[in-house]
Amino acid sequence: MSDKDALVFLRLFGALRDAVGHKEVQLPCAGGTVNEALLCFAEQHGNPVRSFIFDGEGKPRRSMILLLNGDPVGDSQITRVEEGDVVSLLLPLAGG
Amino acid sequence: MTTFSEEQIERYSRHIILPEVGGIGQRKLLAARVLIVGAGGLGSPAALYLAAAGVGAIGIVDCDAVEISNLQRQVLHATPDLGRRKCASARETIERLNPDVHVTTHDLRLTSHNILDLVAQYDIVMDGSDNFPTRYLVNDACVMTGKPLSHAGILRFEGQVTTIVPGRGPCYRCLYPDPPPPGMVPSCQEAGVLGATAGLMGVIQAAEVLKLILNIGDPLIGRLLLYNALEMTFREVKVRRDPHCPVCGDNPTVTALIDYEEFCGLRGHTSDSEDTTS
Repeated sequence: MSDKDALVFLRLFGALRDAVGHKEVQLPCAGGTVNEALLCFAEQHGNPVRSFIFDGEGKPRRSMILLLNGDPVGDSQITRVEEGDVVSLLLPLAGG
Repeated sequence: MTTFSEEQIERYSRHIILPEVGGIGQRKLLAARVLIVGAGGLGSPAALYLAAAGVGAIGIVDCDAVEISNLQRQVLHATPDLGRRKCASARETIERLNPDVHVTTHDLRLTSHNILDLVAQYDIVMDGSDNFPTRYLVNDACVMTGKPLSHAGILRFEGQVTTIVPGRGPCYRCLYPDPPPPGMVPSCQEAGVLGATAGLMGVIQAAEVLKLILNIGDPLIGRLLLYNALEMTFREVKVRRDPHCPVCGDNPTVTALIDYEEFCGLRGHTSDSEDTTS
């Protein structure tokens, strides 16, 4: 599948969910990589969402867990997302 | 082997009749030594259930005094304890619950200099701290000493909990190799927390610690359990050990404890990392 308008779902947790105001967003970026989906999401929302996800060099931060359909994403620049896939973005929680 | 008193047989009867525990398991609990980092929202319920279960030695690390804003969730402490050291309050509550438990209080701030000696005195560590530098410090110390660690974090209505057993699954750094930039993930003091969220996560940690002591069931090794109180959902995600992890990987590059304030970008800032829990 390579229809770029087909939807993938981005599931948000913690502070990122609070920043966006939704627990899930739809992105028309099926067929691309996880990284492209994240870029698409960051484009839609700008800062501070962008800075939550990408570091100063434009790489996905290593302070979040990326999951594709519940499984850890190895390399977000290689792993592809297809229509209906769910990408989850987990941030750590400090509180205790 | 120690024999149970009549009172102990009664006290632990609901454990002893469980085939998975029995008299042998109860003796293991009475012989176990657990270090609880933070007598706060997570540490309080965990300490109560570990003490009630008859864990023989419980260490409490906390360097704070009881404040009224703690009492909404930190159930080790009560209104008459306001202003007292949390360690003293925790000890009293635990000893009142179960005199079989030997409580050792460590009224200090955990640092790279004191944590290894402390952790060495215990079999298992339960992290109930409230800041990233302490979380990475506790993780690294447990990996370096091979101690099992129960980890949980909470914020607002969400919780995350996992069990780290060095050599058997991922460590905290495998999950989150870098801390979030300062200010990006708020503290409970900044964003609030439903007290019952802390209770639930702390009790899950206690259950995990008890399972590790008894060597029963399937601990949350390689699994991160996500809880949302508003949705009332539990999701479980797989997490893998990173062979390139600087602490628990195949060729570790961090082999001694570091400056965790600096690692978390907090050097020179005043932050809630001054406390163990809040």
